[in-house]
Amino acid sequence: MKDVYILSVETSCDETSIAIVKNGTEVVALTILTQMDTHANFGGVVPEIASRMHTENITMVLEETLNKAHMKVEDVDAIAVTYCPGLLGSLLVGVEFAKVLSYVYKKPLIKVNHLIGHIYANKIDNKMEFPVLALVISGGHTELIKMTGDYEFEKLGETEDDAIGEAFDKVARVIGLPYPGGPNIEKLARDGHDTYKLPKPVMDDTYNFSYSGLKSSVINLVNNERQRGNEIRKEDLACSFQTTAVEELTRKLELALKNTDIKNVIIAGGVSANKYLRGQIQELCDKYDAKLNLPEFIYCTDNAAMIGAAAYPLYLKRDFADLELNAKSTSSIC
Amino acid sequence: MNLFIDTHLNDVVIILEENGKIKREKILKDVPENSKVIMPTIKKVLGKETIESIIVVNGPGSFTGVRLGVTIAKTFAYTMKKPIRTVTSLECLAVSTEETEKIVAFSDKNGYYIGIFDSEYNLVGNYEYLSNSEFEEYSKNYNVLTDIKLDYNKIIDLALTKKELNPHEVNPIYVKKIDVEKNDKKR
Repeated sequence: MKDVYILSVETSCDETSIAIVKNGTEVVALTILTQMDTHANFGGVVPEIASRMHTENITMVLEETLNKAHMKVEDVDAIAVTYCPGLLGSLLVGVEFAKVLSYVYKKPLIKVNHLIGHIYANKIDNKMEFPVLALVISGGHTELIKMTGDYEFEKLGETEDDAIGEAFDKVARVIGLPYPGGPNIEKLARDGHDTYKLPKPVMDDTYNFSYSGLKSSVINLVNNERQRGNEIRKEDLACSFQTTAVEELTRKLELALKNTDIKNVIIAGGVSANKYLRGQIQELCDKYDAKLNLPEFIYCTDNAAMIGAAAYPLYLKRDFADLELNAKSTSSIC
Repeated sequence: MNLFIDTHLNDVVIILEENGKIKREKILKDVPENSKVIMPTIKKVLGKETIESIIVVNGPGSFTGVRLGVTIAKTFAYTMKKPIRTVTSLECLAVSTEETEKIVAFSDKNGYYIGIFDSEYNLVGNYEYLSNSEFEEYSKNYNVLTDIKLDYNKIIDLALTKKELNPHEVNPIYVKKIDVEKNDKKR
């Protein structure tokens, strides 16, 4: 079969990224321009500034990607773009950009869901095998999904309130850590111990998650200690929080491993970069003799290579979008 | 053919022009989700014609509207290696009026973008964004032109006198401050 090259575009949040991916598994070139330093000045992503920077940089990111690949847009077979979910203004820049490429070069346009992109990050270098349990964990999502084949999703459970990444960010802010909160909690937790007693969510038989209770109890604990004039042991609190937050994931994943007898596990989404979490899930998988696949670190955070990987099955199905494609801020996988 | 793109408010204006004559135009009023409309309209207006150069209205106006027009225009220019020029929304107004004193303005919901031009359509000072009450006060003392019918022939003529830009460097002008910029000032 002829090789398929897809040029993919990702602008759903604060990274402007363009990649060229071969056959959905091999990254020919990838450029990621992160705006993290800019947004760090404001303590979080400012959507309007994110959108502005995408428009400023997007043609330069294309040029750099083409140079790295020694290719022209003419050489690719399709243009793929993240159209949901994410910051609407940011998504729109990528979507309109991709439409122009599709129109000028007469290439099919493929619309990709960002979350499915995170799952397909595991397809890069052929790591994902079906059936598989996928744990999608990010600032906006906490979902446990069963996949029996390409684009065959069955949602087993999801968060009933906050996403895990959201909880990490809020807790980071409460204990005074700079943006981005998640990685800073992880760093701090390395020097701490699980000494604070935080409530564990009620054990039930569903695959659903909950993070608002844990988040609130950390906030209350900090406020109470401050009122009493007690010093907070930030390292210990970060460690206790992280331990409890990850336990919530492993508990439900363990239930799924027991009940489904599936032997493949992947984790996807920004929070999957957390090394403590990776370690805990690896231990659990070892216990059930399941194979855990982890994307390389660079494919864990937002990047266009995963969008190219996720676009490939759609290309094979000829599932193409037209120039009326719109962006959507919210969306789920299934 | 010169392709003219204006999406700085809720209207979508796509025009194909050649040798001072408008060949084809589509002016869609009050488009709610213009991302669904801009590229299909460009495709329709272009038909089989080839683009020689691109002109885009780069603001000020609706942040998203301007951004989409500019993103599309610079991507066209970069990929097709065609010259690109920008004209501002307030220049469009200034060139469309016969009045000699050109203080021109247009409103979004919360206020007015305003610019002062000399007879050669050069901007005097800077563009400003005034709140509705500030604008009311201002217009008591000055004759501000707000009801101007856009003359696209003149707008495109003016744009074509401007210098060609590197597509990478074509960016919107926003003028109106966003919240974090206001806070920055306070700090």
